[in-house]
This record gives sequence, C-alpha cells and structure tokens, in this order.
Amino acid sequence: MNHMFRKLSVTVTQQASALNQSLCRAAPSIQHPAWCCAPGNERRYKGTPTHGIGRWKYLLPKQAPKKKKDRNQTKQILSATDTAHGTLNVKVSGYDMTVVEHYSQYIHNLCNRLGIDVAESYALPTKSTEVMLVQDQGNKTYVDAVLKTHQRVVQLSSLNASLCPVFVDVLLKNQPEGVQLSVKEHTEADFQARFKARPELEGLLAQISQ
Amino acid sequence: MAAPCRKMASRSFSQLLYCFNRTAVGSVGCRRFSVTPVGRARPQAGPAVERATSPWTLMAAVCLQRLPVISADESPIEQRFKQMMQQMELEKSMLSDHELRLLEDADRMSRKQAGDYDSDEEEGHGDQEIMLGQDLEDTWEQRLKNFQPAPRVRADVDKDLTSVQRCLADSLVLLAEQQVGAEKLWLLPQAAWQEGETLRQTAERALGSVTAADLKATFLGNAPCGVYKYKLPKAARTESSVGTKVFFFKAVLADSAPAKAPNTALLWVKKSELQKYLKPAYAMKVDRFILSL
Repeated sequence: MNHMFRKLSVTVTQQASALNQSLCRAAPSIQHPAWCCAPGNERRYKGTPTHGIGRWKYLLPKQAPKKKKDRNQTKQILSATDTAHGTLNVKVSGYDMTVVEHYSQYIHNLCNRLGIDVAESYALPTKSTEVMLVQDQGNKTYVDAVLKTHQRVVQLSSLNASLCPVFVDVLLKNQPEGVQLSVKEHTEADFQARFKARPELEGLLAQISQ
Repeated sequence: MAAPCRKMASRSFSQLLYCFNRTAVGSVGCRRFSVTPVGRARPQAGPAVERATSPWTLMAAVCLQRLPVISADESPIEQRFKQMMQQMELEKSMLSDHELRLLEDADRMSRKQAGDYDSDEEEGHGDQEIMLGQDLEDTWEQRLKNFQPAPRVRADVDKDLTSVQRCLADSLVLLAEQQVGAEKLWLLPQAAWQEGETLRQTAERALGSVTAADLKATFLGNAPCGVYKYKLPKAARTESSVGTKVFFFKAVLADSAPAKAPNTALLWVKKSELQKYLKPAYAMKVDRFILSL
C-alpha cells in the first residue's frame, strides 16, 4: 500500500478512484485538514520512509563551545635564541598622525610580505605637549602651540638573525621625515604600562597590607 | 658594545636596542641614534672545538652607510599629484579654530560698522578682544620671515667626495683605499679575522683601525649581508692559502662629528658612483646588498 500522501485535486481524486482504489486514501475519515490548509509545511511524520531526510548537522564532528575571546590575554613573551631575536617592539612616534600611522602600516605590511610574525599592532596613548612662550612685553608666558605626539607599536614575535639587518636597513631607508623609529625588546613592564591604574583597588590593597 | 668571545661555530648573540630619530633639529649630516646594548653574556660553551684549518683567509668588512638627511626631490608627476591631493583635501576639509575665529572677527567688525551697533548686545569676550585673529597672523608671518632655513642642496659640498655632508638626499657608503697584496685598491674597510673573535667584532675593528677617525656606527645585526670570494692567481696559490673570503656587515653612521685627518684616504660615494672605484667582480657582489631606496 502506498502511504505517500499526495495533495490531490478533486478531479484527480475522482480519476484515481476510478482507476485504482489503492492510490488514494481509501478511508475518507482520515482527514488531515492541517496539511490541506497549510501547503508550506513539509515536515514528514515519523513513520514515513523519508522521515529525517535532509538532516546533516548530526554528522558534523562535535565542537567545543566557543569561548569568549579574551582580548587582553597576556601573549607569551618569547626570549631570544641563538638564531633569532625574541619579542621585539618597533615603535613609531611623531607629531603628524597620518605620517606615523601610514609608516606603521607600511612596517606591518612589510613584515607580512617577508614572513615575519606580527604578534600585535597597537597604539599607545597620545601625549600632548604645550609650548609656552614668554610674551615680548612682560614676563607672562602664554600658550603658543599644543603638540601631540602619536605612538604606534608593531610587535614582532620573532625576527630571524639573518633577516634582521636587511629588515632594519629597509625600515631606515624608508623612514619619513619627522618620525622617530625605535626597536626594543618587549618586556613585562611594557605590557603592564598599557593598562590604566585602578586607584580603588590600590587603596584597598594598601589598607589590607597596613 | 662588547660581545663575548665565541668560536666561529656558535656565534654569540647580543641584543641591541635601536632608537633612530629623524628630526629637523640637530646636526646636519647625520641622524640621531641612541643604542642601548643589552648584551647577555652567555658563558663559554665547553672545551675548544677541534676545527680543520681551511685554506681560505677570512676577512670581515663593514659597509658603513650614511642615511639620507632630507627627503628626495619629487618627480614632475609626483609634484602634480601632490598638488592635486592637497587641493582636494583643502576643499573637503572643515574650518579650523583659527579660521572660525577670523570669520567671527570679520563678522563682528562688519556689525560694528553697521551703524545701529549696540555694544551691550555683544557677548562678553573679555581679553580676546585685544588680540584679533588677524594680529596673530601678522605676528606669525613676521616670525616666518625671520626664519632662515638651511639650503637643501649645496653644489660645492656635493662635489667634495670626502665630505660626509654631500648629497643629503641620497645614502652614501664609505670607501677606503687599502693595500691588498701588491696594489692599493678602493674597498669597503676590511680587516683580517683573528682567532677568538666573532666576524662582527672583526668588522668593528676594521672600521676603527682603517678609518682611524672617530666614526660612531650602529651595526644592524650579527649576521653578514654579503660575501666576496677571491681566489689567488694559480702561481701564488699554496696548500694553505687558496684565497680570501670577505664577509660584509652593514652599519649605519650614528650622529657624531668625525675627526678630520684620517691616515687613509676615505670617500663617501653614492651607489651609482661605486662602479668607478671598485673592481668589477667586487662591485658585482657589493651591489647586491646595498639598497638604493
């Protein structure tokens, strides 16, 4: 017996019933008005041979639940080996922000091209310097200009010793005017300096230690 | 910076911290550098390693470069593009505080001269009334006129090959005339390697001894950047000496006033002028690592 449910039009039903009794529902009492009224619902009932056809997610390998990314995770500070430098900080600083940013982007792209691993690329807070000049008449100083020093850091996880002179040479030859370049080792102190001080916590700690 | 003595097999590794400044203020001719050596003195590794003596004489040379002090002149297309970009940025930009202030002042001036001017209606500005925006501009213009920038190109200094301040827009390499065998040749300053020192220390020694001038240099790394192999002519070859191998190390001139009167002839040349002074085979090897950016 064919248990497939087919949406039959009246004429077809009549024809089918004329031709073959078994093709259509023999018992008119078995009514499924829901399916007649909602043609969009195509879920098959459990007994159908095609029940569960199209399921695929159960075939995928089990994945661990996604952890929320910890952005301020302490990255491992690599130390130098015999053939490679450890974690290095290439710091670019200057007064003109566009030039400083473009130069740091250039360094980052150069590292990508040369296959040097870039651990992080971040900006340090801007430092403002006020230039005060003494007035021509009188001793009062007035604010002449405000100079802002922008700093960008490109942190390299390791630098091959044979690549180092070539890399530094290219950086120096392409250094723009008014930009200071500094290549230093990355230390724990550098990492901690990026965080803001928490005065309440420090106050409570001082109270505990007293 | 004294790196500890090591055998050739395992080179020592001293960390160097570089700090390169490129500012307008400062002595002409050199960039300001600050080098903080972080030399981790590793203990000597075990007993002496037995090495087969090689028939090659080893030498180390230093490629001392004076980096450009000013930016190079732009080509015509670059100039036109730069003007166009500046024009576009000016048209798209917002007014700055100073420009807004000028507009306000002009507006206030026109209102003052309107006729039905009531100074009580004016918002109190106080001290700002004294110094108008236009006055500020005039003082700035005055200061600009008094400022005399140094000339970018000086033709007479450019022609003097021994001066370190020639061709401020290009990078220069130091050449020294040295006695090699029977003849005097123009080479990058080199010295023979001695037992118990690293090749880099040999290069530093070469710089100090050959130039005999107080040139402060920052070496860019412990690894050589190039090598030149010279085989002695068949007649002069013996069992123990087949030829010499010269390893080149890159260094950058730090900010210093070199003492005049060196005992050997020194030249500062651009990459394009190297061909005139160096032997062709040597020049071919040297050309490979000197970047002409």
